[in-house]
Amino acid sequence: MFKEYDVIIIGGGITGAGTARDCAMRGLKTLLIERHDLTAGATGRNHGLLHSGARYAVTDQESAEECIRENMTLRKIARHCVEETDGLFITLPEDDLKFQDTFIQSCLKAGIRAEAIDPAEAIRLEPSVNKALTGAVRVPDGAVDPFRLTVANVFDAQLHGAEVLTYHEVVSILKEGYRVVGVEVIDNQSKEKKTLRSRLVINAGGIWGHAIAEMAGATVNMFPAKGALLIFGHRVNNMVINRCRKPADADILVPGDTICLIGTTSSRLPYDQIDDMKVTPDEVDLLLREGAKLAPELADTRILRAYAGVRPLVAADNDPSGRSISRGIVCLDHETRDGIPGFITITGGKLMTYRLMAEWATDLACKKLGVDKKCQTAEICLPGSEETKTEKKSSSQHVWLGEKAAQGRHGSRSTNIVVNDENDASLVCECEGVSVAEVNYAIETLGAKNIINLRRRTRLGMGTCQGELCACRASGLLSKANGCAKKSAEDLASFMNERWKGMFPVAWGETLAEAQFTAWIYEGVCGLDAFDKKEEA
Amino acid sequence: MKFDTIIIGGGLSGLVAGIDLSRKGQKCLIVSSGQSALHFFSGSFELCSLADNPYEGIATLGAEHPYSKIGAESIADLSAKVKPLFKEVGITLKGVKDANHWRITPMGVLKRAWLTMDEYGTVPADGVMPWKKVAVLNIDGFLDFHTSYIAAGLEAKGVECSVHAISMPELERLRMNPTEMRSTNIAKTLTGDLIGALAARINEYAHDVDAVLMPAVVGLTSSTDVVKLKEKVDRPLHFIATLPPSVPGIRIQMMLKKHFQKLGGVYMLGDSVVSGEFEGGKLKSIKTNNHGDTEFKADNFILASGSFFSKGLASDIDGVYEPIFGLDVDSLDVRSEWYERNLFDAQPYMSFGVATDNEFHVKKNGERIENVYATGSVLSGFHPMKQGCGAGVSILSALYVSSLLKTIR
Repeated sequence: MFKEYDVIIIGGGITGAGTARDCAMRGLKTLLIERHDLTAGATGRNHGLLHSGARYAVTDQESAEECIRENMTLRKIARHCVEETDGLFITLPEDDLKFQDTFIQSCLKAGIRAEAIDPAEAIRLEPSVNKALTGAVRVPDGAVDPFRLTVANVFDAQLHGAEVLTYHEVVSILKEGYRVVGVEVIDNQSKEKKTLRSRLVINAGGIWGHAIAEMAGATVNMFPAKGALLIFGHRVNNMVINRCRKPADADILVPGDTICLIGTTSSRLPYDQIDDMKVTPDEVDLLLREGAKLAPELADTRILRAYAGVRPLVAADNDPSGRSISRGIVCLDHETRDGIPGFITITGGKLMTYRLMAEWATDLACKKLGVDKKCQTAEICLPGSEETKTEKKSSSQHVWLGEKAAQGRHGSRSTNIVVNDENDASLVCECEGVSVAEVNYAIETLGAKNIINLRRRTRLGMGTCQGELCACRASGLLSKANGCAKKSAEDLASFMNERWKGMFPVAWGETLAEAQFTAWIYEGVCGLDAFDKKEEA
Repeated sequence: MKFDTIIIGGGLSGLVAGIDLSRKGQKCLIVSSGQSALHFFSGSFELCSLADNPYEGIATLGAEHPYSKIGAESIADLSAKVKPLFKEVGITLKGVKDANHWRITPMGVLKRAWLTMDEYGTVPADGVMPWKKVAVLNIDGFLDFHTSYIAAGLEAKGVECSVHAISMPELERLRMNPTEMRSTNIAKTLTGDLIGALAARINEYAHDVDAVLMPAVVGLTSSTDVVKLKEKVDRPLHFIATLPPSVPGIRIQMMLKKHFQKLGGVYMLGDSVVSGEFEGGKLKSIKTNNHGDTEFKADNFILASGSFFSKGLASDIDGVYEPIFGLDVDSLDVRSEWYERNLFDAQPYMSFGVATDNEFHVKKNGERIENVYATGSVLSGFHPMKQGCGAGVSILSALYVSSLLKTIR
């Protein structure tokens, strides 16, 4: 007989992951489905900014208030995913300094700590900042690692009994009459089809949720908005740097681990291009030009890669043209809205408000299922962020170089990374300090099946060299773990190709030299081109 | 200081030019920044991998290709000199003139090769595997070599493989530092007296096999250790290339350099050319980073400074340029045309390089510079990967330019 779930959640981004955690914590029998890997969509193409809400304070008080509340919550429940850097909103000679007052007032009104500081003090706090600044406001911005945050949510959902199917794509929504009763999925690796039944289906597919809603017979008017970003080769700034003006393109510079990111642009994208986004030379030029105004040394800093994410903007129900767009959270009860019981869509919102989005969706799910349990996701820490009263002793026998880096990435769970000998301690990725043991932990415990999975779970290959040699080292370890050399080699070829897609829009200077080096090694010396599976759909 | 020829770049092409010119009695200077493509050597030189017979492949190349500038007749003459030249340096190469054989890559696939260092495992031109059963060994904990790929590749060709990791107490010490387990460090450890012990460990797995395959991690400074190891191992022992750095590649570079110096050449390592003085369509002298105001003069100059990775070519957001003298380059103006979206397609930027005439004279502002020649991967008009001709272009363009310059005494 078919197993029946209380709830099936579609989408392994941060919203789906948070919803799976909330549902599982409230005792629902939960299944999370993702067609690729966790964070493969907009979540993994994010700015990594822990918004204080200050950016929205002047234009959207409600978003600003949500942001600062969630900001404070994440510092507590997800501290191993968060860096408390603080941020500066700087005024440049071309900006109106009078805006600063309006800005501070709006921040304070939304509950965001905001203090004007002297430009000289701003330069002392953040030496990379443009020295021409005429004013600065300090706010509680920070950095958040969206990969780590998603994986921690999914991991906790699993600890609470949820099941997770990655690389499973929903091909149709099962209905009995008008009621949604489950989904039909295809395993993208084995191509096998499965039918999965549930009392409720929650659509957390981000922009792809548009098509999922269509399968269920509902219309959710979404408008894809593309945001392009550039990653620089080292961490130029230690604080987030923003422009103190109305939100515009390319005016936020965020530090993240060993690198920093400038973003974003914002442009409408035809729906048929959401799976194949290209960063254009014009976008690169704009990001560079505006970025260098925040921190002039960016102009001479090597760019590692360019990428773009797509925000799911939702048009109001009475406005199919999309002129009145909300950036807020949209939680749709399709039973009352469209006469389709058993189906909920949670969309809109932002990375920052994922937990709140999950809470709204889970509240609605609980109401439908008659479950009376309170949301606890704002109080109970994610795995890795638990308070440790006494310093928990690592189960490792050795002092090892990657240990600190792994603690940063896995928090209190890093004690489960077992280093028994020097082989385990040896570094696979030197830029990010990822050891053999951490790679094996990600394979065995965090479900990493390929190099891209590993990258998202350990930061392997995310540093300055962008996976030059560590990709091949990791590939060898995966090949050993999964026992199929051909599959691992094809995986390595596809990883190097993905890496190239982020590199070529910015491939000049050192990045071009690095690209040529890569080609010499992987195609020339190794002959990896033999494993290239030409463009897949 | 005055030389007959000054060579900028101390990689494969610069060293071959330096050796050949020194043999002709020329007084040569090589200025080398230290970067060389030999550090990521595959173990083999390719001449042209487009066909089984490299000369048939060469015949299909366009006029812009360096081989076409050299001409078929000279290619035939010069290519015959390669094996003897390396023999003289102390490097034995295997392979025949007009048939490519196959090398085994670190991913376990076969790629065409023209001449291969004797110590590497190769497959003959007909593609028939020379072994029925082999032992594939790795050094325990060495992450830049993956036996599973080699074994899978060979097994797909019907060779039975047994895979083993070997360890030695001396290597355990290397392992104490998590970043030390790299090819060159292993080679520095596995030398001298330890070769006997290494052979003993290898021999534990050398029963009932036709050959033993292991990563190329022995013989950093000379081939003595390699010869000794091969003698002591009970079965034929062959190397397979590792990820960089390449231990045999570094050895080739060192041996070429020593030979050049033995012939009277001057090799300035870790130095780079900062400027040149031009007069009447000729380069008169250069200055280098480490020698301040000292002018190095020569009758002729050879630019063998390599491609983007070796900094012989440079690029910025606006275009591609030659960074030392600002020589004319062949490239594309629109940046988005430099690339193909699939990494493994023929990337146009790979064929960018310094513009030259049919004798490899370079140009500046459209004017030919009479006494400056370019050789090797700084040249335009060829695709080292897709045409399998990187080493061939480096060596043959160097020998060709050398043939154009005069013999002293």
